[in-house]
Amino acid sequence: MNAIAFLLGLLVLAYLGSILVGGRAIRGFGLASGAEYLVLGFVLGPQVLSVVNRQLVDSFQPVLLVGVSWLGLVLGVSYLRVGQRPVPLSRVALGIAMSALVSAFVSTVVFFGASYFSPLPQAEVIALAGTAGIVCSETTRHSVRWVVERYGAKGPLADLAADTARASALFAALGFAVVNAWLSGAALENFSVLQRVLVSLGLGVVLGFTAALLLGREFRRDESWGILLGTSLLGTGAAARLNLSPISTTFAMGLTLAIVSPHRLDIKAMVTPTEKPVLLPVLLLAGACVNVKLPVPLLVLVAAALVAKLMTRIVCGALLSVTLKPVNGVGLEFAGSMLSSGALGLAVALALSVRHPGVVADTVLLLASLGVLLGEWLGPGALRRALARAGEIKPEVPPEGAEPSLPSEA
Amino acid sequence: MSGHGGSKKTRATRAIQAAALIVTFGVLYGVTRVTPELETHLGTVAAVGFLLLAGTLMSELLETIGLPHLSGYLLAGIIGGPHILHLVDHHTVTELSPVNTLALSLIALAGGAELRIETVRSVARSLAWATLIQSTFVLLCMAGVFLAISSYLPFTQGMNSKALIGVALLWGVLAVSRSPSACMGILSQTRAKGPVATFSLAFIMLSDVVVVILLATMLMLARPLITASGGISLEDFSVLGHELLGSIAVGVTLGLGLAVYLRLVGRQLLLVLLAIGFGLSDTFAYIHVDSLLAFLAAGFVVTNLSDQGPKLLHSIEQTGSVVFVVFFATAGAHLDIPLLQRLWPVAVALCASRAFFTVVAGRISGRLAEDPAILKRWGWSSLVSQAGLALGLSVVIAKAFPSFGEGFRSLAIAAVALNEMIGPILFKFALDRAGETDRNEPEIRPSLPPAPAAE
Repeated sequence: MNAIAFLLGLLVLAYLGSILVGGRAIRGFGLASGAEYLVLGFVLGPQVLSVVNRQLVDSFQPVLLVGVSWLGLVLGVSYLRVGQRPVPLSRVALGIAMSALVSAFVSTVVFFGASYFSPLPQAEVIALAGTAGIVCSETTRHSVRWVVERYGAKGPLADLAADTARASALFAALGFAVVNAWLSGAALENFSVLQRVLVSLGLGVVLGFTAALLLGREFRRDESWGILLGTSLLGTGAAARLNLSPISTTFAMGLTLAIVSPHRLDIKAMVTPTEKPVLLPVLLLAGACVNVKLPVPLLVLVAAALVAKLMTRIVCGALLSVTLKPVNGVGLEFAGSMLSSGALGLAVALALSVRHPGVVADTVLLLASLGVLLGEWLGPGALRRALARAGEIKPEVPPEGAEPSLPSEA
Repeated sequence: MSGHGGSKKTRATRAIQAAALIVTFGVLYGVTRVTPELETHLGTVAAVGFLLLAGTLMSELLETIGLPHLSGYLLAGIIGGPHILHLVDHHTVTELSPVNTLALSLIALAGGAELRIETVRSVARSLAWATLIQSTFVLLCMAGVFLAISSYLPFTQGMNSKALIGVALLWGVLAVSRSPSACMGILSQTRAKGPVATFSLAFIMLSDVVVVILLATMLMLARPLITASGGISLEDFSVLGHELLGSIAVGVTLGLGLAVYLRLVGRQLLLVLLAIGFGLSDTFAYIHVDSLLAFLAAGFVVTNLSDQGPKLLHSIEQTGSVVFVVFFATAGAHLDIPLLQRLWPVAVALCASRAFFTVVAGRISGRLAEDPAILKRWGWSSLVSQAGLALGLSVVIAKAFPSFGEGFRSLAIAAVALNEMIGPILFKFALDRAGETDRNEPEIRPSLPPAPAAE
């Protein structure tokens, strides 16, 4: 397949994604995390049919980089709000804490496992452990939204699920900034890890402020696209050239915009419909990049990381069921619902694969992909059961007038 | 290109824009100094962002002194380009060629969609005379000027008079090529409406076809003059005929398809335009179809054989607001400033005489066609700009005549650089003076409807 044909294929996917954002016509179509596109990419990729080979995927590196960074921006812009409702700070803290807990446990398991059983040198073991923890820490908000909207759920548990899922993105974005700074190559070699992290986030903050100032008091859509695209591409390219994490930079930029811009809702409404059209091609490319032909110890480590993630989520669910009223009695189901992962975990894994290709990146990408599939298998069903038991939906009966399966929130 | 005319922004807004421009330059300047060794694709991503942001801001700032946005985009590219600050290097400029392809296809599509049959009919007489006079008079006069200054040109040294005449005719063809992109750029920014705008658009879109035919003719005539062994071959015309008819046929088909899509689906036009711009341009090149002409025909069909023209134009305007900035800023980065420094006396002479003969031809054709006074006065103003088409012709000529081709192309680049900078300013000035520009503020985005609160 040549590059133009492949590009057209990606555009068709983006087209499909954009229809999924806005269409009532295909209600109920698609999976919550978009895992089917990941599988499609894997099947088309070099591991199965070789319709899309690695060289072709590599030639799309800039597109990939821009795509994952744009996802970072969208996550940042929409971080503090669910719809138009602000996320309470306590929920933000809870989401971050749960992500940190999962990440720490997964990283520990992977670190010790890799140290004892894998042939990797120490530096790569640390990188693997750190990134594995990060990709497992996210709960995708798409899955929560999918269930909530599909079943017309409303209530404190639905809000809690939505808020904590959204809040989990911050830990992954910041965590990847740290890992990437630790991995940094030739650029900024005289800088410490902390300084590199500050540069990657500071770049995003500066560009976020700049964009907020330029968008100013009057919001003109034609100018706004140029400003948002320009600042995000500049941030992405600059961070990538400095061997820093572009996702973290654009996330910081988006978050800055969400905090300081008076037009935060307009900006959110502008960028969120673009998420699906960007995400689906990214999922396809991610699937094509997945390499399952890894040494057996690393495959075992991937399985161990997924088990560790599952266990930590169960512990989190148990803790929440005794400390938070909405989770009371549905701790296990709520824990299962938090297993859903998607855009950010895969974006981090892909960014690592693009910037630091090798066995560590392949392992992390495989882990992220399997995490998406596992989350798809367990997450939406668990959340539906939790919401039904909490009395926030009628079990098994999708109400009339339910929203489409993969809508993007305004 | 953001479509607003003389917007009334406050001083504070301008100060913020100036500060943001400094930040934009500062960020990329800092990054390129820390990592001078480029990984190519990473440089491209940063460069697109820089060109888009710096071009937009520069255009806003230059607007305060009455210059068109296009000049701002070009200036941003020139300053950030490989010859001044080196924030965007040569390789990156080459890497951005897909953006150019996309922009040109959108420009041609929009150009065609702007041409309504009744509008063309209303200026048909003016068009016919202008095409005849501008194409023949300017071509011959510029060939004469070229002959007159040929002794100052290194690549014509040692040529006999027959060969000189041949090269001069080729320069004449180059001189009658115009810039559809610059014309569309200015019209899109100013939202100009009136006889000058209508005539300019119709003439320049038509001149694309005329120039292609003229080039084939002059190549055929010049070959026996320049190379002793060469003869006149009608084969070129056969190929050209196939290409022109094929382009129109493909364009009509595409236009009908687009009209059907717009009518039946009418959504996700951004993605459809991207697919058309990237995918079809390559396909057209592969099957030897002139993509500019094909897209022009497609746009023309959508506007004149369906009621979907406004929808198509609106979508192109939205997409173009980003793509065109990068396109023109890249063109600015592509300008060869050292070459211009070296060849500027000759380039200035050629550009000045071209502008002069264009004005004279405009006056003659205006009188013959009995144009309204405003058109007689300003009808020539859009014809000074030159850009990608002229450079494309120079590449074709350089390939056809390798013995002097490189020198010829260098001179063309220098001359086009001047016309590219001056032409848009003249055109906007003329539209302002003719009272055809829209000076109203653009609409501020209305408040959002409330979004669903639940997730």
